[in-house]
Order: sequence, then C-alpha cells, then structure tokens
Amino acid sequence: MTKTAEQGGATRGGGPTDPGSGREERTAKQLRSSVEAAAFQKDWFKNTRQRLSDGEPFVLANADTPHELFLTMDIPVVMTQWWSAILSAKRLSPTYFDLMNERGYQRGLCRYCSLPLACAMDHNPERAPWGGLPRPTLLLARLTCDAQTKIFERLAREYNATFFPLEHGAPTSSYPRWWERIKDHWDEVIESHRLDLMVEELKTLIRFLEVTTGKTFSHARLMDVMELINRQEEYYKKTRDLIAATVPCPVSLTDQIASTMNSQWHRGTPWGLHHARMFYEEVKERVEKGEAACRNEKARLMWIGPGLWHNTAFYRYFEEKYGAVFVCSIYLSLAADGYARNVANDPLRALASRHVSMTEFLYHRDWLVKEAKLHGVRGAVIIVSRSCIRPVGGSVGWKLTRMAFEAAGIPVLPIYSDVVDAREWNDAEVTSQVSKFIEEKVLPISGP
Amino acid sequence: MEPLETMQTYYKRRDLAARKWKAKGGKVVGYVSDDVPEEMIRAAGFFPFRISGDPWGGTEEADRYTEPFYDPSVRSILNMLLTGQYDFLDFIVISHSSDAILKLYYHLRDIQQIDSTLKLPDLHLFDILHTRFWMTGLYIRDRVRELKKKLEAWSGKEMSNEALSQAIAVGNENKNLLKKVSSLRAAEPSLLSGVESLQIIGSSMVMLKEEHNKLLRQFLIEDKRPARDGLRLFVEGSAIDNLQFYELVESCRATIVAEDHDWGNRYFDDPVDPALDPLEAIAERYHLKSPSPRMHSIGRRVAYCVERAMGAKSQGVIFFFLEWDSAPAWDYPDQKKGLEEKGIPTLCFDMQKYLLSDPEKTRIKTRVEQWLESIRRPSRK
Repeated sequence: MTKTAEQGGATRGGGPTDPGSGREERTAKQLRSSVEAAAFQKDWFKNTRQRLSDGEPFVLANADTPHELFLTMDIPVVMTQWWSAILSAKRLSPTYFDLMNERGYQRGLCRYCSLPLACAMDHNPERAPWGGLPRPTLLLARLTCDAQTKIFERLAREYNATFFPLEHGAPTSSYPRWWERIKDHWDEVIESHRLDLMVEELKTLIRFLEVTTGKTFSHARLMDVMELINRQEEYYKKTRDLIAATVPCPVSLTDQIASTMNSQWHRGTPWGLHHARMFYEEVKERVEKGEAACRNEKARLMWIGPGLWHNTAFYRYFEEKYGAVFVCSIYLSLAADGYARNVANDPLRALASRHVSMTEFLYHRDWLVKEAKLHGVRGAVIIVSRSCIRPVGGSVGWKLTRMAFEAAGIPVLPIYSDVVDAREWNDAEVTSQVSKFIEEKVLPISGP
Repeated sequence: MEPLETMQTYYKRRDLAARKWKAKGGKVVGYVSDDVPEEMIRAAGFFPFRISGDPWGGTEEADRYTEPFYDPSVRSILNMLLTGQYDFLDFIVISHSSDAILKLYYHLRDIQQIDSTLKLPDLHLFDILHTRFWMTGLYIRDRVRELKKKLEAWSGKEMSNEALSQAIAVGNENKNLLKKVSSLRAAEPSLLSGVESLQIIGSSMVMLKEEHNKLLRQFLIEDKRPARDGLRLFVEGSAIDNLQFYELVESCRATIVAEDHDWGNRYFDDPVDPALDPLEAIAERYHLKSPSPRMHSIGRRVAYCVERAMGAKSQGVIFFFLEWDSAPAWDYPDQKKGLEEKGIPTLCFDMQKYLLSDPEKTRIKTRVEQWLESIRRPSRK
C-alpha cells in the first residue's frame, strides 16, 4: 500500500492528511494521484505564503463561493471548510471549541464553519498548524445560513480584514431532476431572479476586487477558466461512472474524496485538469487490473454528508470487518453532475448558476437516491450534525431523505455527531451502530 | 370586559378573532414572523394572522418529518399545521426570516408532495434577505411586488394604493399606541408588567388592527395602574411567543420593562413612512426595520441592545435562548460585554426548551432570585 508523501502535512482540499483517531495505519492512500495532490498542496501553500509576504492579497472564502473570480484575477484563495478540516484532523477542534465556549459562545452553535474562527481567536501561531493561516485581506461568504454573517464578522475583527457578504436568495423551486438539465439549461433550471441577484453580487465583488487590488478582471480569461473547468469536471463524471459500475469498488472513499477535492479547489487551472485526468486514468487502470479498495467486497454503502474530518479512517474498519465498502459520497458525485456549465456567451451568469443552488443540489434527496442506485449501494449512512441544520439532508432535513431512500429499498442509518468537533464523537458507540446496521439491514439485502 | 382583559383573552385564544372573521365569510392569511408585511395582507382584504407555536401542544406529527434540533417554536408551528389546528387559514405567507422558518416552508411544500391526503393552504415564500445593502433592498422591493401579485391572485382583485395607504395608516397608529403603552411600562416606577405587555403586543398580531387600536385607546384613557416594585429588567435573545419565562421572572419581584424580540417591543419600533409611495415604503420598512438577530451585524445588535436596555433604565439584562436558535446566540458574548461595560449585570439561560418543565422552572427561578439578590445587595450597603 502506498504511503502518502505527506503524513502529518497539508492538503488544501477535502481531505486532510492526518487522521483524527487512533487509526492512522488505515488512512494511507492507495492512489498516486492522491499522493501527487498532497505534494502539490504543500508546494502551493508554501508558494502562496511567499507571495503574501510580498504584499499580495489573500482571500479566505467559504467553499460554495465563486473562487473562479479569484483565479481569473490571480488572487490566492483558501476555503474555510478546508482549514476547518485541517484543524479537525490535527485534533485541535476540542481545544479551539473549548476556548470559544469559555468566551461565551454556546456549545450548540455551528462548528464546521466556525472552527477557523475559533483558531483565529486563539491568536497562538505556535498551536495552529503551520503557524496558522496567513492574514487574509478579504473574507467571502454567501449568507446561506443564520451563522455566516456572525462568523465572518467576528473573523474580520480577528484578522482585521474586510468581509464581503454575498446574499443568498432562497430557492422556490424544488429543482426536480436538476442533474439532467443543469449543464445545458441552467438558466431554465434556476429561477431567473436568483440568478439576477447573484450576477449583480458578482459584478459588485469584481469591482471591489479591482479597486482594492489594482488588478483588472478579464472577461476572456473567465471564459477560459470556465471552459477548463468543464473539461476537468468531465473527467470526474467519467471517474464517477467507472467507480459506480465497477464491482468491487476500485477506489476507497478516502482516496475518492482526497483526489476529487484537492483538484476541485484548483478547478480551472492546468494542474486541476491534469490531476482530474490523472485520477481518472489511475482509476481506469485499477479497474482494468482488477484492483479493489477491498478485495472482499460484500456490500456497498453510501456516505451522506461532509467528510468525517476528525476521523478519516472511519470507513476502512467496515471494509476490513464486513467487506462493507463506502463507494460514494457527495464529493465526487457533485463534481460529476453539478459543476459543468455550457457557458454560451455569458460566463458570469453561468458561474452564478454554479454556486447559487449548490447547497440545494448537494443534498437534493432524489439526486442522492439516484446516485445510490447508480452505485448499487445497499445502505446509506447520514452524518447528522445538530449544529448545522441547513446542509444535512438539504432544505428539508434527513428524515425526508431517509423516506426517499427507504421508498427505493435502501435502508438508512443516521449518525448524530459532528464532522469537525471530535468532542461529539464516540468511536465505540458509532462503530457499534454502523456494525449493527450493516449486520441487520445491509448484508441481508446485499446478496452473495 | 376591560380592554386589558379583552386583549389578554385574544392573546390566550389566538384564533378567536380570525375564526369570527372566517365565520362571517372573510378569508384569513396566516403569516410566519414579523418580516411579512401584514399591511399588504390587510390591504388585499384579508385578515392577517400571525402564526405562532404552542409550547404545550407537542411536536409528535412534525417529528415524523423533522429532526429535533431546530427552533422548537417553528417545529411546533409545523405540528399545528399538520394536525389541523390552523384549519381556518386560507393562505400562508412564510418569510425567509431564519433558517428554521425557511425550512418550515420547504417542509410544508415537500410533505404535501409525499402525502397527497394532506390538505394545506396555498403557500407563498417571502424571501427577505440578510443585509442592509441597497442591492438587497432592490431584491426585497421585487419580492414585495411579487407578494402583491400573489395576494391579488388570492383575492381576485387588484390591491389599490389607497387600500395599502389605509392599512399602513392603521398599522402605524397601532405601533404608535403600542409605544404609548410601552411608556407606561418604562415609567419609573413601572406601571405595567412584562407579562401584560406581551399580551397587549401579541394580541395586536392576531386581531384586526382597527379593533386593537380601539382597545388600546380605551386602555390608555381608562386604565389607572398601580406602581410596580422590584428590579427593572430587560430581556434579550430568542423571540418569546408565550408567557412562561416572563411569569417566572416577574414572580421574583422584578419587572421586565423592555425587551429585544419581535413578540415584544421590537414589533412596533418602526412605522411605515406614510410620505413615500406605499409599496416603496413597505419595502423599505421591512428591509431596514429594527435589527433582528439574523439580519444585522453583531455590532448593530450590541448597540441596539445596550441603547434599549439603558433607555428603559434596566438594572439587569436576562438573556433567554431557545435551543437551536443560533442567530441571537452568536450576539451574546459581545452584547454581554457591551452591557457590562455600562455597568449592567447580565444573566444567561441558553439552550432552553420551548415548554419549560417544572424542575427547569424551579432552576430558573432559583438562579433569577440569586442573581437579583446579587444586584440588590450593593445598594443596601
């Protein structure tokens, strides 16, 4: 098994390298593309820090914001959720959240998006990974939930940075079968008034960036970025289809998430395209050679929700004990179905359409069921965070999602925990719950 | 019946006036949160009825569809809608006032898709956004126009500017009268309890404003109130749509002289500007009204809390947060600091249940009494 080149080091995307529990030996990645991604991330971060020391602007933004604008203007950006995952994987979340609680912030508040704030409030570079984030000059968030304004306002105070909020108009449509039409007919799928708002918000942001950085925004460059992204996302689609159709599953969930998200954060760059292609070709090679994440695959599972960043080794235990393999998650599936856009002549509006309904698409229950069927899963595990009611199960919560899965004959297990706050994780208890679920609900319907 | 007693009756039996209206052939539009322009509903010829939860009503039916960890008052509303307790509503307008309220809209929409036997009123989402920026104002203006069209479709007739201006005038008078009532409460000594104030303000949201204004005028003329003793307190935090917490606090020889939530004083803070085009004025008022936790920065929320607490000459501020109501809870550390810098002591109850159990009531009462004693003690020296 290939060891990652960066045990204990940094990745920039969805998969921090360090595990969060005592299962380090099982977190080693199987793919060369994962290893390359880790090395690339390390270099990228080092180079970015150098650029910032030369006085360049730097943006800390939520994952559902249009990073493409920053790429177009050559402004480095990192994601709050990535940083949150890193802090969690470094097992710092209990320390930071305890600190926040001591300062009067209640324990029931948002965790995933607020962990970077907790770290910033500590003002202790010796405790933070790699000396903490460089000081951002701009903070960007879409106001998709009640907490975003508050978190980013406080972050702006800690970093002495400007917070640029992007409004989030609420969807009125339920977007039936959005995945079939979003690439070419996004302007019909998404309500025009929501697109109008987002486009205006983006124009304002662009002007703000031009004024404050002295850089000029290029329409032609954005067209290039958008086209490059379409090519990149096409590889994810091919990879997803390959994984979904192959038994046993050729790639572990840990590798899928790491390889997908590390290059997703760099979507629109030559390296992003190169890496997505490399990921696809490596998966294809594994399929052709008959290599598997778990040779003894007996049942296929779906993971619904964000990655379990404080315990990235969690999935592997069930492969080894039961041959129960987590074969799909939202990360590669959304990359396959949700990002590509036929730009036509309006890249900014197409870009707006990518982000304006990302949350709604991500946890759309019919889409999740479609993905479950595509991958031939026999059970789904949903991580339900009490501190984050918007994303889990989408706009309507996990119970309606479970109903949809059960109507399709797929049992669902909810796990009540938090993806970054290790204080809420009871490894023995959750392992027992999932084991029972596999034994009683999944294996009996998984066939020989 | 005395005017206060009448308002207390309507506060307790919130569906009373709407059901009477309905019995006479009128139609009722229920709305969730004070972010919905009730003046427009009235101008369209409907009875505007603010929907609230019921702490004693349980959430069993809602729990089939929802997880237990979001704003319990909103889960209660869902339960009441699913169990037919709001069967007199013809239409419902839900605002994007908080994550939980928005989620209520999606739940109602999607549950109807799953259970075709469930008959709910026609729904409309009023998508009010987060910030005070001009562009947000434009978006809200468009949503106000959209709401107007929806109300016109429901009523089958055009909403005239005259009707809207009239509804605005009546609504503004109501706010003005409620301010006069609140001055009795803020007087030294206070002449009105917090419990009575919640009843008076809350009844305004479940009665026709014309009728409520009559009661308020009578109350202001006729009612001679005894002075209240005890410490003067301000309540900050979650919206409180029932009397449990206020009754507990005021049973400890204290008076809640003002608060910062939309079932209390914040409801009548801002009139609609009668000098503007009525639809523009509605859009501006609902965009820029007093700072609700979700729509405003921590800085504005701190300033508002400190200003209002001091304006009411509060001797202490109690924070009360319902469980899973996160927006106001984010403001708490800075509000606490801002108050204490002004020498105002604070007490906090977080993650509170919608229905307070007897042991919890005992715990709250004990803590409030101890805290009040700690405030009183220095003055005895």
